[in-house]
Amino acid sequence: MLKKILVAFDGSQQSNKAFDFALDMSGLCAGAISELIVISVVQPPEPADIVEVDAIIDSATQHYEELFKELKEKAKEKGMAIKTEVLVGHPADQIVRYAKDQNCDVIVLGRKGKSRVERWLLGSVSKRVSSYASCTVIIVK
Amino acid sequence: MHEVWGIAALWLGLALIATLLSIWFRIATALSEIVVGTVAQLVIGALIGTTLGSDQSWIKFLSGTGAIVLTFLAGAELDPVVFKVKLKEASAIGFISFLAPFLGCTAAAYYLLHWTVQASWLAGVALSTTSVAVVYAVMLELGLNKTDFGKAVLAACFVTDLGTVLSLGLIFAPFTFRTLIFVGAGAVIFFILPYLTPWFFKKYGDRPSELEAKYLLLFLFGLGSLAVWSDSEAVLPAYIIGMVLAGTVGKDHVLIRRLRTLTFGLLTPFYFIRAGSYVSVPALIAAPAAILVLFLSKIITKIAGVYPATKAFDYAQKEGVYTTLLMSTGLTFGSISALFGLTHNIISQEQYSVLVFVVIGSAVVPTLIANAFFIPKYLLPKKAERYETTD
Repeated sequence: MLKKILVAFDGSQQSNKAFDFALDMSGLCAGAISELIVISVVQPPEPADIVEVDAIIDSATQHYEELFKELKEKAKEKGMAIKTEVLVGHPADQIVRYAKDQNCDVIVLGRKGKSRVERWLLGSVSKRVSSYASCTVIIVK
Repeated sequence: MHEVWGIAALWLGLALIATLLSIWFRIATALSEIVVGTVAQLVIGALIGTTLGSDQSWIKFLSGTGAIVLTFLAGAELDPVVFKVKLKEASAIGFISFLAPFLGCTAAAYYLLHWTVQASWLAGVALSTTSVAVVYAVMLELGLNKTDFGKAVLAACFVTDLGTVLSLGLIFAPFTFRTLIFVGAGAVIFFILPYLTPWFFKKYGDRPSELEAKYLLLFLFGLGSLAVWSDSEAVLPAYIIGMVLAGTVGKDHVLIRRLRTLTFGLLTPFYFIRAGSYVSVPALIAAPAAILVLFLSKIITKIAGVYPATKAFDYAQKEGVYTTLLMSTGLTFGSISALFGLTHNIISQEQYSVLVFVVIGSAVVPTLIANAFFIPKYLLPKKAERYETTD
């Protein structure tokens, strides 16, 4: 039974689609879903300088908190409340870790994020999450 | 005057390119700026036969200010509450983390590379530092920043960097009457600032006139001037001012954000691009052995120094994590030390190029190792699964 849905959100068009999908899914399973959680992951540069790391975490957190407001409004229109959190680290690792720690039943994420260069250098986050997550993963196109 | 604007436009153009590279490749802006400075100098030198203008006085001023303010902000990252609680562990581990590579790399430069005494000490200073950011980022990722272990490790990094800054500021300065004046004035100001600053900001701050930034720059420039007057280094008082104000200014996120805008937006590009412009690529190609010797000296001495210290504090499970993280060199203090050596004729351009390359290498390589080392457990196949066979 689906109790907790985790949405990985990076502000991209695809992640917005993923959120909308998760919201629709929650509506269909009304009464069953106890929690819809949205997380965003801030990835510091490497190798890093302490001042820059803090600056990036600071501004990214502020940026995502602003985006979360829109998501909360969307959820409110459908009579739902969402939990949001900003994590720090490698995106795929943090998503998988968070899902495991919070006992999420399904992870929903977009197929591709924002940057082609990042995908080329680091590999696809959605592929990595789907390979290593212990729960169901839904990749939204 | 039009040449000045032209050069300024060129440098800001290079800074913009470096920023784009850092965004696309997710690397530190400092690193991309150093590389862009090196490549730009190579290209412009080859095409036009001229330099980027790194020796112009206004570029030196902006570059120097970038180093000072960046160092101040680095010092202000310290958590004074945790530092007081973990003082004994942080001091012991941090000091050893500084001392081992400092002595080891100095010895390697002197005995193996036959550098002069002063150049060898400079190499030791440049390679003694630790990247607080690497430690911080990994601690955040694993959630260890909230644990006693994580807090002690982070505090120790500040002690390591303090050792680097103190040795840079004091080893190469002749001990004269001026040194006494600088140390005396510094001690008085470091004592007064934590009390004066919050009172002054509360009374006159929080206005569009940015009084807080002017106040801080006054003390940074004033003590920096005294430091240079006594043949020391301006970043030394900047770091200590940052540390003593970490509990006040460091907690004012709005002020810190404004200072970061000034620093990253204008000042540090001039510093790091200038640092990169002095790197000689031919010198690097000609000296692979020197690079290898210094790199290995750094890594080995860090591990050899830190491992017993962490054992002494009973970090049984985690010292492997810790030594890996502490291997990494801080780009900021490493490059500041190397540039200090070059501009004070302690080291040659060839030695400078080697040192900067090793500083970068010993920032990048341990980060790669830490990434590989920290593959989370759930990403590793379980033992039983590895040996499963299908019938």
